[in-house]
Amino acid sequence: MSAMSRKPLFLLLPGLIFILLGFAIPSGIMLFAPPGVGTGEIFVRLGEMLTDPFEQAIILRTLGLGLIVMAICLILGFPIAYLLARSTSRYAGVWLALAIFPLLLSNVVRTFGWIVILGSKGALGQLIVFLGFADEAPQLLYTELAIVLGLTQLFLPLAIISCYSAVAQVDAGLDDAARGLGASKTRTLWTVVIPLSAPGLVVSATLVFAGSATAYTTPYLLGGSANRMLSTELFSYSAVTVDWASASATALIMTILVFLVSGVSSLATRRKGMVS
Amino acid sequence: MTIAAEFIGVSQSFGDFLAVDNLDLKIEEGKLTTLLGPSGCGKTTTLRMLAGYGTPTKGRITIGGKDATTLPPEKRNLGMVFQSYALFPHMTVAENVAYGLKIRKVAQPERTKRVMESLELVGLAHLAGRRPKALSGGQQQRVALARAIAIRPALLLLDEPLSNLDARLRVQMRSEIRRIQAETSLSVVLVTHDQDEALEMSDTMVLMREGKIMQQGAPEQVFPAPANRFVAEFLGYENFIVDPTRGLLTVRPEHLRVASGETEPALASAGLALPATVTSSAYRGVDLVITTAVVNAAGEEVPLVSTVRRDSLAAGFAGHNRGDKVTVYTREVDLVSLPG
Amino acid sequence: MKGRPLIGTLAVLGYIIMIVPILFVVAISFTDSQTLSFPPKGFTLRWFGEAASYAPFTSALLNSLGLAIVSTALALAIGIPVTLAIQRGKIPGKSLVEGLFLSPLVVPELVVGLALYQQIMVGLQQTSLVALVIGHTIILMPYAVRVTGASLALADPFVEEAARGLGASPFKTFMTVTLPLLRPGIFSAALLSFITSFNNVPMSLLLQSRKFHTLPISMLDYIQQSYDPMIAAMSTLLLAGTIVIAIVAERTVGFAKIFGGINK
Repeated sequence: MSAMSRKPLFLLLPGLIFILLGFAIPSGIMLFAPPGVGTGEIFVRLGEMLTDPFEQAIILRTLGLGLIVMAICLILGFPIAYLLARSTSRYAGVWLALAIFPLLLSNVVRTFGWIVILGSKGALGQLIVFLGFADEAPQLLYTELAIVLGLTQLFLPLAIISCYSAVAQVDAGLDDAARGLGASKTRTLWTVVIPLSAPGLVVSATLVFAGSATAYTTPYLLGGSANRMLSTELFSYSAVTVDWASASATALIMTILVFLVSGVSSLATRRKGMVS
Repeated sequence: MTIAAEFIGVSQSFGDFLAVDNLDLKIEEGKLTTLLGPSGCGKTTTLRMLAGYGTPTKGRITIGGKDATTLPPEKRNLGMVFQSYALFPHMTVAENVAYGLKIRKVAQPERTKRVMESLELVGLAHLAGRRPKALSGGQQQRVALARAIAIRPALLLLDEPLSNLDARLRVQMRSEIRRIQAETSLSVVLVTHDQDEALEMSDTMVLMREGKIMQQGAPEQVFPAPANRFVAEFLGYENFIVDPTRGLLTVRPEHLRVASGETEPALASAGLALPATVTSSAYRGVDLVITTAVVNAAGEEVPLVSTVRRDSLAAGFAGHNRGDKVTVYTREVDLVSLPG
Repeated sequence: MKGRPLIGTLAVLGYIIMIVPILFVVAISFTDSQTLSFPPKGFTLRWFGEAASYAPFTSALLNSLGLAIVSTALALAIGIPVTLAIQRGKIPGKSLVEGLFLSPLVVPELVVGLALYQQIMVGLQQTSLVALVIGHTIILMPYAVRVTGASLALADPFVEEAARGLGASPFKTFMTVTLPLLRPGIFSAALLSFITSFNNVPMSLLLQSRKFHTLPISMLDYIQQSYDPMIAAMSTLLLAGTIVIAIVAERTVGFAKIFGGINK
C-alpha cells in the first residue's frame, strides 16, 4: 500500500517543480514584486491607471470589445454547434472539421486575411465604391470594427467546439419528448436544449472572453496605434519603455478582468444549475 | 477434501467502513463456490483480496496451503474474470488470450496451441483475429474466460460475470460455465447477487451480509433450510409468521395453499392453518399469485403470499376474489423454523 | 436547416467569417501586382518563389520547427507522468493538482511571457532560446496533461489489474497495457502541442532575440513594414502545410477526438 501511494508523488514531482519554477512563481513575482519595484509602487501605478482617462479608455475598450466578441461568438457559434450536433447528414463531419480547421492555422495568417479584405485597396472597400455607396473606400482597417471581426474569426472555432460538446451531451430524445408534448422547434430550443447546455455555453463564453481580452496579434495588426488594448499596452511597457511597474499594473488589470468575467459567469451557471 | 484457498480471520476496512469482518472460509479444490449477497455485503472485496487487489487489514489468506496474504496479484497465478471483462482493447482476441502465456514465457508452437484450446473451450476459435470492440457482450465475456483459463490458474475467479448479459444469455452462460468447470476441473469462486444463479451453479454457496457469512453449504442443504430470516428472504421465502408456541416460521409462496372453506381434507393433516382474507389475486403466466392477510397473535395484519400453478387448479375454478374469507395452510415439512 | 431561417442564416454568417478571409489570402497570393489591391490582376507564381527564398522566413521556419519539436517533446516528457499520477494514482487534492497544470490556459499568455522575460532573460541572464523553450513548454503543459489523460480516462480501469492478475509485473503492465492505451492521447497531444507552439505569437514575441526569430514573428514584422503579396504567398504555403497536418490528424485519430480533449 505504501509503495502504491508513494509512486504518484514521484511521477508528479518533475512536473510540479517545472510548473512552479517556470510558471507560478515567475508569474507571481511579475504581478506583485518585479525586480527593483516595490509592491506598493505597483498599486500606486494601478490607482493612477484606473483614474487616467487615457488608460481608462484602453481598459474599457478591452472589456467592451471582449464582451462584444463573446456575444457574437455565442450568437454565431451556438447555431452552428446546434445544427452540427443534431444533424443526421453524413456531411456533418465535414462541416465540423471545417469549423475546427481554422484553429490549426496560424493567427497571423488568419488575421492577415482581414487586411486583404479591409485594407485601403481591399476587397470590401472596392465593393462599396463599385456599388456606389461611397466615392472613396471608407477607413475600415485600424478600427474597432476590424478588431471585432478579427477576434470573432479567431475565437469562433473555439466557441463552436465548446458549444458542440455542450449540446451533444444533451440527450436528443429530450428534444423529441418536448416536440411530442407540443413544443415548437424554437420553444424546444429555448426551454430544453439551451437550459441543459447552459453550463457548457458559459464555459464557451468565458474561453472566448479570456482569449479576446488578452489577444495580441489582432489588435496589433488590425487596431493600429489609435485603438490600443491592454495587450498591446502591456507589450509596449515591457519591450519598448521597460517600465516594470506599469507593466505589472497592466498585467494585473488584464488578469483581474479575465478572472472577474469567468468568476461572474461561473456564479451564473451555479445559479442556473440549481434550477435545471 | 482438499483446500484450494483459505481465509483465516480476514478483515478489510476502508476508512471507517468494515467491508469484510473476521471472515473464515475454505474454498474447496475442484468445486464451484459462489459468494452470494446483496451489494455492499463484502463479496467482491473478498474476491479481490483473494486475487491480490487489496491486502487484508487483519488475518491471513492461503492459496494451495501457502501464505499469500501480501503476495502481489502477478505472483498468485489466479485467473480473474472482471465484471467489465477488462479486455485489452489494443490487442486481438488471440493476443488477449496469449498475454498471460507470453509473460510465462510459453514458447511458440505450444503458446498458439494453448490459445486455440482455450478459445475452443469457449467456442470462439473462429474469432481469434478480431478486436474486442467488434464482439458482442457475450463473446467478450467468453474471451475474458478463455484468457483467464489459458494460464492454467490455481483458481478461477469470476466477479459478477453474467451481470452485463441479457436475461436469456445469462441463463445459457450458467450451464456453459458449469461445463467449462467440469471439463477443466478448476476450482472456481464466483461472486453474484442473483440467488437463482448461485442455486443453479454452486457446489457450495456462501451467503454474505455486512462482511459476515450468514450461511454456507450446498444449495440443496441451504435452500430448504435457511439459517435465519436474512437468508430466507434472500432465497425467496416471502411469508413470515410468528407462532405463539413455535416462534418465527417461514414458508415459501409455492408451499402455501389457499382453501375456500374449512372442509378440505388436506386441512386435517396441515402443519399450520390460519383463517385469512384475500387482498388480491393476480395472473402471472403459469402461476396464480394470491395475496391474503392474516391477523397475528399481536392483532396485526400480516400479508401472506401463495403461488399456485394454474394447471393444478380444478376445472371451472374461477379464482378467488378480493375480500373472500379463506384458510391458508401448509404441510408440516414445508415449514421452516427460524431463530428470533 | 429546413424551417429554421434564423439559425441557418447565423450559421452561414459564422462560416463566412471563419473561412472567407482565408480564401482572400489565397486569391491575392497569385496577383501580378505589387499591392494587395482587389480584384487581383493577372496570375503569377512569383510571390511563392520570393517567399520561399526570403532568408528571414526560411531561417525562421527552421527555428519554429525546432522550437515546436523540442518543446512538444519536453511537455510530453513532463506531462505524461503527471497524467498517470492524476488518472491512476491515489493522490490527495487531485483536482487541485490538475487545476495547477491546466492554469496556463487561464493566465494570459502575455503575462507569463513577460514574467519569463523579466526573470529568466533579464534576471538570470539566460539566452532567449532557453526562455523560449521554457515558455512554450509551459503553454503546452495543459495539452500534455489533459489531452493525454483523456484516452486513459475512457479506458476500462480494470485492464491494468487484469494484466497484473495474468502475471505481469507493474513495469510490464505499464509497457504492455497502459502505454498502448495512452498512445492515441499522446498522438493528439503531440499534434496539438506542435501546432500551438509553431503558431505562437505572444510568448515568442516577448522572448525573441536578434538571433532567434520564429516564423509567425518574422511574418508579423514583415506585415508591419509592407503589405505586399509575398506575405500572402507565405500565408498560402503555411495554409497548405496546415491542411496536410489536418488531413493526417483526421485520418489517424479524428479531428473531433483531438479537440474534444481540450474542453472539460
